[in-house]
Amino acid sequence: MTFEAAKDFLIRRAGERSIAAEVLATSERRLSLSVKGGSVDELTAASRGGVGIRVVVEGKVGYASTEALDTESLEWVLDEAVENAALQHAEGAVLVAGRALGRHDLLGEGLSAEVADKVAGVLDLESGLRADARVDVVYQASYRESEAQAVIGSTAGADGGYRNGYASYSATPIMKLGDSVKQGSDVDISKEFHALDPNQTAHKVLERVGRHLGATPLGTGRYRGYLESEVTATLLALLLYSLSGKTLAEGKSRLAGKLGARVASDLITLVDDPTLVDGPASRPFDAEGTPAARTEIISGGVLQSFLHNSDTARRTGHTNTGHASRSYASTLGVSPSNLVLATGTGIDVSDGVIVTDLMGVHAGANPISGDVSVQGLGLRVTGGETHPVDNFALSFNLFSLLERIDAVGEESTWTPTVGMFRAPMVAVDALSFSGA
Amino acid sequence: MISLPIADAVLTNARGGGADFAELYVERWRRRALRTIDGKVEEATSAISQGGGLRLFFGTDVVYGYTNDLTEASLRELAETLLRHRGDDRARVDATGRGGLDLRRTRAIGIHAPDVPFDTRSKAWRVERLRELDAGARVAPEVRQVEGHLLEWEQDVVVANSDGTWIDDRRVRTRLAATAIASDGAETQTGFYGAGLSMGLELLDRRSPDEVGRTAGERAMTNLRAKPAPAGTMPVVIGNGFGGVIFHEALGHLVETTFVAPKASVLSDKLGQRIASSVVTYVDDGTTPHGWGSSEFDDEGAPTERTVLIQEGVLKSYMVDRRGALQTGYRPTGSGRRQDYTFAPTSRMRNTFITPGTTPRDDLFDGIELGLYAKALGGGQVRPGSGEYNFSVVEGYVIRHGRIEESVRGAMLVGKGPDTIMHVDAVSDDLSTEPGMCGSKSGSIPTEVGQPHLRVSRIVVGGEA
Repeated sequence: MTFEAAKDFLIRRAGERSIAAEVLATSERRLSLSVKGGSVDELTAASRGGVGIRVVVEGKVGYASTEALDTESLEWVLDEAVENAALQHAEGAVLVAGRALGRHDLLGEGLSAEVADKVAGVLDLESGLRADARVDVVYQASYRESEAQAVIGSTAGADGGYRNGYASYSATPIMKLGDSVKQGSDVDISKEFHALDPNQTAHKVLERVGRHLGATPLGTGRYRGYLESEVTATLLALLLYSLSGKTLAEGKSRLAGKLGARVASDLITLVDDPTLVDGPASRPFDAEGTPAARTEIISGGVLQSFLHNSDTARRTGHTNTGHASRSYASTLGVSPSNLVLATGTGIDVSDGVIVTDLMGVHAGANPISGDVSVQGLGLRVTGGETHPVDNFALSFNLFSLLERIDAVGEESTWTPTVGMFRAPMVAVDALSFSGA
Repeated sequence: MISLPIADAVLTNARGGGADFAELYVERWRRRALRTIDGKVEEATSAISQGGGLRLFFGTDVVYGYTNDLTEASLRELAETLLRHRGDDRARVDATGRGGLDLRRTRAIGIHAPDVPFDTRSKAWRVERLRELDAGARVAPEVRQVEGHLLEWEQDVVVANSDGTWIDDRRVRTRLAATAIASDGAETQTGFYGAGLSMGLELLDRRSPDEVGRTAGERAMTNLRAKPAPAGTMPVVIGNGFGGVIFHEALGHLVETTFVAPKASVLSDKLGQRIASSVVTYVDDGTTPHGWGSSEFDDEGAPTERTVLIQEGVLKSYMVDRRGALQTGYRPTGSGRRQDYTFAPTSRMRNTFITPGTTPRDDLFDGIELGLYAKALGGGQVRPGSGEYNFSVVEGYVIRHGRIEESVRGAMLVGKGPDTIMHVDAVSDDLSTEPGMCGSKSGSIPTEVGQPHLRVSRIVVGGEA
């Protein structure tokens, strides 16, 4: 059975049993190439997919999924989903009224180049890295592409699908200068293979990692912090936990009750926009079939909206913003698409520490309280001179950091976080750094 | 899941196409997850996943492919695709590839088999156990919310390769975890605790839900009462059990051939050398009965073993998978692991721990003027090329004048693994191990970490400056 046929089978069987059901089927093709010493040393070619069902029985929701598409597995999935729904305590769930959503192609022919061209590209990436004498080992030089199709259907009439994908180069050199060893990575992503430039990826990562060679410990203390674009994106992405309608509905959001209130410096405007033409995470509709629309989350420091799917919107009495997310194997969640932090009037980098890299953000952050303590790499700026510093930790509370941002940069770049995040550099006074 | 003639045909086809070695990995999972909030079911999910991965070696170069479709036609097409992508003159189909393929079947004997299989208990019984967890976590009125998780995994695996290996393994794992959220109005803090073993629902008899909940509740309360952690470089006593995660990240990953072979580890080429303080003996054991990271065979079909990595500070062995053995010449250690069929295996940890020392636990604190007692650690991260790591302390206390004093929160341990392991100056005798999920190149896999209480003479502690 194909994924589409399995989706149709489940909707038909659910209909026969008078069960309200929404079925999501996705399939993905992947290719990845890694090179070492001038030849391909790892190649992965793959296809994967599955079918997930979400049923609503007497106002209760149940889930199940399968990658095996035989009739027996599909019947098991329907039975388990109904049984899982019966365990639920929450009632009042409804399947959103569906509509014809059309079929969309967001990828086109962007990945259609020959495999040989992709091999040549990633070999260029590796030789670009090797050209720098400070590179001790090229730990990773690779190309990846993914082409995915998603189809959604429901007993309430939803029917649609889209195709999307990306190509990317990623590079991880280990660089050495005297006793100083530094490892770092960078990724460049595009929907068009030909829009990627392996030499530029190499140049960028060498610059990013090389500037840390010769780093000395940073003394413990408070410094003015300049968070580079990617660092800003990574840290502000932690805020999404509290901005998620799901967190709000479960009573865990620190931002509960703050709609219309100031939650950040007035320099902060944050938007999620799945309709951006150049947005790497654009989508025609969300995982429940709600058409995509732009959402103002924070405007001039004031909280305007949480991100919702139909369920979290119903539970909190807010409007559905069309941010339902789900893979066939997961439950209904809330996810951003293209997050954009508005640029500002620029930053004059003077005395302080430019924070360029963070490690351990996932482990070191408590998304509920907003307490964050993470390891960083950076550049100390004093009297117009910059010097690399390492072996320090940066500690702050995310919510208070937001209020303390006092300058925002003019340029921004995309960083893959949860969704894609376009952010500029931001500056904060008296950040707490601990080191030697 | 797959018949011997199909496996034979696919492997023969691959060898005939010029591969030096071919391996087929086929699996089927049945997974269930229950999540409760305040004793009520928030999410219940069930899933089947099924797929096969084909790995071909050309010297030490690897091509890998996977699919959900386990029919002979689909697997043969996958082999053809891999051979075609390989795209050099070695990939030529000829009739001589059979090479005397002779698959010999070995079945797991059930060392880690469950006593209480999943189908012998109702879902309502499970919800009842999660309610006990919820009740256990409510150690104080400030505990506002309790989340319970019960995960059940059944995985059937077949590995067949062109050396003639055919193994059948069945892995059953259960995990029970609690997250408690405590709030006093002004502050909100969380506490987490999880238990997990390679067994069925008897886990819930061995580790009572009430106790799992209580530990999470107590941690949340400790953090709620905690003050910001001090910052700076100081002696640190690291707790037993999950405290071992620091050496898992900062030492364990650095001795996997995944990083050692490409010289991407600072501990490459150090066999026989002193790399740790002499009080440190570090073991990776895939055979611990019912261990969270145990299995009878690894994901390359090799029997697992107990590997002494570091003995009294001297590096004795790396963790070596098939490819690592080919690349380095080191003896394979049954360490080839992967999350599932979507990943080619790499060398990974199983159940890794520092063995007990001789210092009584309380003596570790003697003589510390100002230090940190990192009783429980959360997750962390390492860059193997530089050895830089970081860990969050989820339950911590200040040590003053040799005494454990007030609790502190928000502490982060930061350093370079090879440095830190040299500064371990005393190890206690209270070894315990805890389950975790380890993420690396071949995905997220169950591993145990562990150690007795031990003392590191200096670590950078990130806190409030």
